[in-house]
Amino acid sequence: MPIQRRTFLAGTAAAAAAVSAPSIHAAAKDKQYRTALIGSGWWGMNILREALAAGQTKVVALCDVDSDRLEINAEEVNELSGETPSVYSDYRELFEKEDIEVAIIATPDHWHALNTIAAINAGAHVFIEKPTGHTIGESQAIVNAAAASDRIVQVGMHRRIGPHHVSGMKFLKSGGAGEIGMVRMFVHSRGGEEKPTRNSEPPENLDWEMYCGPAPLRPYCGRIHPGGFRNYLGFANGTLGDWGVHWLDQVLWWCDQQSPRSVYSVGGRPIKGEAILTDKEQTTDAPDHQIATYEFDDFTAHWEHRRFAGKGPEQTSIGCYFFGTKGTFHMGWRDGWTFYPADEKKSIVHEDSQLQEPDGHNLKLLWADFVRAIETGSKPVAGIEIGHQATTLSLLGMLSLKLGRSIQWDGNSIPNDPDAARLLRRDYRGDWVYPT
Amino acid sequence: MNTFIRRPVLSLSIVALLLTPLPAEDWFRWRGPNLDGISAESGWDCDWPDGNAVIAWRATVGIGFSSAVVAQGRVFTIGHVDGHDEVHAINESDGTVGWRFQYPATLDDRDFEGGPTSTPTVDGDHVYVLSRAGELFCLSVATGELIWQQSVAEQADVRLPGWGCSAAPLVLEDRLLLNIGAAGAAVDKKTGELIWSSEDRESGYATPVVLPDSDPPAAVFASGKAYVAVEIKTGRQLWSERWLTSFNCNAADPIISGQRMFLSSGYNRGAALFELGKDDPELIWKSKEMKNQIHGSILYKGHLYGLDGDMESGARLRCMDWETGEIRWSEDDLRPGGLTLAGGRLIVLTEAGELVVSPADAAGWRPIAKTKVANGKCWTGPVLSNGRIYCRTVQGELVCVDCRS
Repeated sequence: MPIQRRTFLAGTAAAAAAVSAPSIHAAAKDKQYRTALIGSGWWGMNILREALAAGQTKVVALCDVDSDRLEINAEEVNELSGETPSVYSDYRELFEKEDIEVAIIATPDHWHALNTIAAINAGAHVFIEKPTGHTIGESQAIVNAAAASDRIVQVGMHRRIGPHHVSGMKFLKSGGAGEIGMVRMFVHSRGGEEKPTRNSEPPENLDWEMYCGPAPLRPYCGRIHPGGFRNYLGFANGTLGDWGVHWLDQVLWWCDQQSPRSVYSVGGRPIKGEAILTDKEQTTDAPDHQIATYEFDDFTAHWEHRRFAGKGPEQTSIGCYFFGTKGTFHMGWRDGWTFYPADEKKSIVHEDSQLQEPDGHNLKLLWADFVRAIETGSKPVAGIEIGHQATTLSLLGMLSLKLGRSIQWDGNSIPNDPDAARLLRRDYRGDWVYPT
Repeated sequence: MNTFIRRPVLSLSIVALLLTPLPAEDWFRWRGPNLDGISAESGWDCDWPDGNAVIAWRATVGIGFSSAVVAQGRVFTIGHVDGHDEVHAINESDGTVGWRFQYPATLDDRDFEGGPTSTPTVDGDHVYVLSRAGELFCLSVATGELIWQQSVAEQADVRLPGWGCSAAPLVLEDRLLLNIGAAGAAVDKKTGELIWSSEDRESGYATPVVLPDSDPPAAVFASGKAYVAVEIKTGRQLWSERWLTSFNCNAADPIISGQRMFLSSGYNRGAALFELGKDDPELIWKSKEMKNQIHGSILYKGHLYGLDGDMESGARLRCMDWETGEIRWSEDDLRPGGLTLAGGRLIVLTEAGELVVSPADAAGWRPIAKTKVANGKCWTGPVLSNGRIYCRTVQGELVCVDCRS
């Protein structure tokens, strides 16, 4: 590939952080890290179980705005470890009262920056779920906070370390698919028309005001919590801001963290129908399909998702196609990776995935890498710069979609375009202060 | 009111049924005549040459998870078709349509394919249907004519659980017990009039279960956050066992045997066995090894046979010791979609639509017959009635497998 490349964030604080050596902690092998989980939902507990299984975690605190989640999960932690964690509904109180060495952040996206920066400031190493922000400025603020500290931040992008991803990347980088001119990232799932859901009083166990936090307060409905926040753009960024981060990261990994020079996205809700939000009822507001095109110096990447009928004629509905001169390489999820050679005489090359169940992930490896980084000062495989860059690309796609036109990107900012640059951040509600 | 003094007679009749294998019987309600998921039928076999069973008929019943009930020569189930839920009465003998009854309903496919999730209940000349929106219909078994309908959720002024009502109505004497609200509701089975209701909290998804030998007569309701024993006559709460599950998804019917109660939920909740007495239940054991997400286990000869784990990621068929909670065996690669038990045999319908039969034996899973019967995802338990096994796909294919000896 050509040598001239535009790389992400060259010369920024993040790059500086990447080369500065974190302080090395001489820790005994049986060191137990006092750990807090902020956001004790489905995925947060998946991470916490891996942390416990790895054997160096003492769960001292759980935090959630849903007291049911706290009760169920405190009970499970007790069953798994014999420890009874303290429970909190406000992460600020938790960090004030507890001495936390490791914080796991698994709240909805709009909370990630405030939670993570509070954790770093409290002296904790952080395992944060992707995306690293709801707006790009938040993600940048985490990068800044991490750079100003000696704390390790690992982003939950387990596909950076999953065995089939590692071997597939090796295959690609060693030219197995030839020269690659285009990449298509895609995640398709089932969907259809959406009827509005009636608003209701938040359940008694939920602190809805705190759930919304810095995001605009909207009426509660049962589709949002538990588990529905990703489809509400006040709290998250739809499929591109969720799955998109994983697959954009695969592209960034493959191209050695190059940066696109422009991004253009279109999409909408022709099937789900117009987003509705009234005093009485509401729908989700994330797009039911979206295309985002990323123009790199020497290749083009595009994302697409559709939530109509799920599977189409393609053999797979999730992953990345790397289109090369020697054939097409598919990096998948449960289906591992597969290379389809252009030369029909050559046979298809395939490698199975090696995932952990339930839910098909590689958190065990990612957590081990995190602890190794804490203990030895090694660079985490999915550190904050890596997470920030993948998150940024996904959010640039959302930004272009909201703006309705393409945007330029110089690796760090949107140049000469104040209307677009304004969307790199958003106003916070009430007394919450947007981080810098 | 003294309408429940006949309770001992019911218990005796159950014992009688268990002791006497029947050649054939109507499976007229959820979990069968004996409410235990076990058929007493003996007049069936699974002699499927080359894996080919006799498919008596196939019918299209619409999207949904409702299972089949059988009474008076008809098979009843519910499915969703174009903005309506449709109650189907299909002739058992040939699969022809007896009647259909429609009510407006949304598919409501949040997190799953959508469609109705409850199973009809037949009581004498009437079939009762509870919609996901909490609307209760009483229909004529013979004609499908609407006798009455009541919006129970509105009458009781209680919220619906996230995925809507999914419990089958349980008929007890003069009333129907419905799992709606914090601890159920009861309506007059002749009029649908509300007799009692409970607080405005989410219900769970399991069907109410009668507490045997209780004084006063009581039933256990799965709420969103607890299993609650309630006096059948008044709705008064006797005790409550707090049982938090993600998404308030308490969907497996409690299993009560002797003075013991087994509870289990999915989403990594797990199971527990309790001793029942006058006061609150007392924990005997607790286990993460049996997590019944949407299907209740079946208790047979001191062992539980059930589906462990969440269906979406693939549940495991397991055998668990009732007394100790120890796992006797676990069949991890079968991808079961539902199960029933008849004549000492487990009948499993796999997610892919294969019927597999094995002796229900704590010593191991030993399939003796297999046959592919349905095309499509099967998450509804198979039902054996009058020598025929009914298998349903989510998309709405109902298959009648003729297994009469």
